[in-house]
Amino acid sequence: MADLAELARKTVDMVMKLGPSDCDVFASDSRFVTAEIEKGSMKQSSAANDPGVGIRVFVRGCSGYSFCTGFNPATVRQVARAAVAQARAGTEDPDFKGLPKREAIPRMDGLYDPKIAKLQPDDIVEAAIQLADIAGNDKRVTSVNASAAVGIGEAVLANSNGILASQKMTGFELSAEAVARSDESMFSGVDGGWSRRFEPEMSAGVGKNALEHAIMGLKSAKMETGDFPVILDPLAAGFVLGMAVGGGVNAESIQRKRSYLTDQLGKTIGSELFSVTDDPTLRWATGSYSFDGEGVAAKRRKIVDRGVLKSFMYDSYTAGKEGRKSTGNSSRGGSVWSYRRPPSISPSNLVIASGDSSVEEMIRETREGVYLRLTYDYPNLVTGEFSGLMMESYRIAKGELGPSIRQATVGMHLIDMYKNVDMVGKSPRFVFGVKTPALRVSKAKIGGSR
Amino acid sequence: MEDLAEAAIAHAVRLGAEFADLRMESAVGTNIVVMDGRTKSLTALRESGCGIRAFMGGAWGFAVTNSLTKGGLKEAASSAVGMAKVAQAKAKTKFRIGEIRPVKANEKYPCKERPSDVAMEDKVRFVLALDKDMSRKDARVTSTNAKYDDAEIARVVANSFGTLVRSDEVWTIGACSAFARSDGVMQRGHAAFGSVGGYELMRTNDAVGLGDEAASQALRLLDSKPVPAGKFTVVLDNKMTGMLAHEAFGHACEADAIVSGSSVLEGLLGKKVADERISLVDDPKVENTFGYFSIDWEGVRAKKHVLIENGVLRGYMHNIETSSRMGVEPNGASRAQSYSGTPIIRMSNTYIGNGDRSKDEIISDLMDGLLIQGAQYGYVEPAKGQFMFKCDEAHRIKKGEVGERYRDASISGLILEVLNNVVAVGSDFMLGDPGYCGKSGQSARTTDGGPHLCLSNMVVGGLA
Repeated sequence: MADLAELARKTVDMVMKLGPSDCDVFASDSRFVTAEIEKGSMKQSSAANDPGVGIRVFVRGCSGYSFCTGFNPATVRQVARAAVAQARAGTEDPDFKGLPKREAIPRMDGLYDPKIAKLQPDDIVEAAIQLADIAGNDKRVTSVNASAAVGIGEAVLANSNGILASQKMTGFELSAEAVARSDESMFSGVDGGWSRRFEPEMSAGVGKNALEHAIMGLKSAKMETGDFPVILDPLAAGFVLGMAVGGGVNAESIQRKRSYLTDQLGKTIGSELFSVTDDPTLRWATGSYSFDGEGVAAKRRKIVDRGVLKSFMYDSYTAGKEGRKSTGNSSRGGSVWSYRRPPSISPSNLVIASGDSSVEEMIRETREGVYLRLTYDYPNLVTGEFSGLMMESYRIAKGELGPSIRQATVGMHLIDMYKNVDMVGKSPRFVFGVKTPALRVSKAKIGGSR
Repeated sequence: MEDLAEAAIAHAVRLGAEFADLRMESAVGTNIVVMDGRTKSLTALRESGCGIRAFMGGAWGFAVTNSLTKGGLKEAASSAVGMAKVAQAKAKTKFRIGEIRPVKANEKYPCKERPSDVAMEDKVRFVLALDKDMSRKDARVTSTNAKYDDAEIARVVANSFGTLVRSDEVWTIGACSAFARSDGVMQRGHAAFGSVGGYELMRTNDAVGLGDEAASQALRLLDSKPVPAGKFTVVLDNKMTGMLAHEAFGHACEADAIVSGSSVLEGLLGKKVADERISLVDDPKVENTFGYFSIDWEGVRAKKHVLIENGVLRGYMHNIETSSRMGVEPNGASRAQSYSGTPIIRMSNTYIGNGDRSKDEIISDLMDGLLIQGAQYGYVEPAKGQFMFKCDEAHRIKKGEVGERYRDASISGLILEVLNNVVAVGSDFMLGDPGYCGKSGQSARTTDGGPHLCLSNMVVGGLA
């Protein structure tokens, strides 16, 4: 393996001779192994190496970025010249106040599982088979599609202020889809698991969830249009809140007045039960890091505290514009970082505070309403309005979970959603980069087909 | 590149692969983002690499390398065969890849002005002008984003049947987003234009008008309400009809969803799945579109995919594997985002064909419903049989008159029901905006469209 630190440091020196005011160089060498199962049969096993270098330079405040695959010195020099040429072609930006300065990066556990480096392709294949066996363990299941994947990489960042930092990262991911059929119906249950540690034992939960929901969904019902309380399963809460909170507090959007949370800092945007933290130090969570994509040390930060909006997320550019320090939210994407894009603002791991209710209690106390397990819709971060398909949801009647609802939508304003959180689950899951329990929202607009 | 490709394939076969193929690429590209009158980021990419697949007894192995040398490719071929052996040992379903006629071709995408020959300063000037068109449109436009992307990709596809295809792909796309504010209300408008082709596309009126189009939409939406939720008869505009074709039916017609047992359309070939006025097609060979290609990423010549003809399900989109397993000819629907991904079945230009009603007739015949305009995004789970798609704006239709304006809303339906609820099919066919479709972590450039289309029993997800 190439000495990435030496490569990054020398590349910074070489780039600075080309005349930019600032630069950072990101070098990474990653490997990914995947096993995929189609309709219960092992279908494909893949291995990919992905070495490369990304160079970002600033000229009169304007940023230019270029990258190449591999570490060939001549290509890296070409890329450096391209990045400088890009930046020179742009406009002056006096809001750029410089890249982060060197600071102590505390040593952090929970980013790298050495076991993953020793895994053979057979181990990944076995993990996928084990998952598929669990997800398909019912005669009503007619097909199981599943995958297991690991990633391992070293990420090195150097900048013209003397930062030279490196971290090793690993990632492990499982996903399963069980398809069940009855005489009159067909439905699929999906689930996934994400960690920085090799945890094949996650299969038990992921496979069981996929299987159970495929079967539960066979019994279907239609829903009438109206206002109902909605319980968000961690899977739905994680998907929606990752974007709604993570995107809403992006300082770039705030400064340009493009976010529904503009002018809301210090104000109450949620109920007392709604608290959100951004936590890059969460052990084994896929969004964790010891330093962010610009070399700023990782730090846990309260975003919403008992309903009050406490902080936005900054990188060095947006922080410089306000004369403050970056919050360390510059991202290079994914559990194993990539050199293919310039860094951008993103949450690390969002953690939604847990409460004291069990899901059973939440269903029992809801009486009449909806349990939303899955939606893949994006909120409109400008207006704060959210409307989406309930891809998997269940009717709650007389305090019990009923049949699966077909062709129905859910709609609400995000701030109403946060303010209407009136019950919070006590068993969080880590899904889509968010650690969240189930949440009950006392009122949402359901659009039904009945 | 061609010699290296053939040597790597031969090596994979020597090691025991029953079938092997590869995609070797060398790509350059540009991305320019302008925000609020200033360049925000300017990116130049330079990528090269090769992805090799080996097939053995019902399973595939896949390996990726960035080392485009004889040694590097040999190593990747060995790795692909090794991975195939690991997978094959555990594969329960055994099948073969039936031999197909090899293709030897050089494919050149149409291009008058290579993007790499255009000075960066010229491209930046173009994007700054788009951005300025938005901000000067109206004082209520408070923030702006203009974006430009281009790519030039030299790709070699080779396989062990003797296929050797060299494609020189080039495409360009511009896009604008405008943010408008008035009396505490904030709205966004957007517009995009792009196609396969060179920088000449960015000199057309379609491209230079993007800023005005995006800003006008944002301003219009300032005077809009949230859409009411519930069941409605809807009139879809050309863009939304295209998104319906793509989401509601296109994905469920991808043969990989059929062989994996996760499409509600499995077993329905030759059966009636839609109103007889409906014909639905995916055609990669429509020229001057973002979804265009003439040879797919497995080296198969692309064909027009007739999916629904007069309401009857006629076919699926295939790759070499699914066509072999289902005993039909491959029809060239396989694509990979880059050399580092395995080729999977993708849509290209997906559309519903013309009917016989004018747009005005469709609207004037509707007593109560919604006119749905402009496509944002959509998604589907073919195994659940449900889909949704989101519009930019909507209008109430009452007694044949277009009235009150609403903003973005999601529309949902059931795959097996939606095209049986046809009230009227328009005669004003048009392809819509360029877009990207995501599947299995890969992105593919696509276009879709159709005529205005009136459907009953659609569920609209609103806040009111």
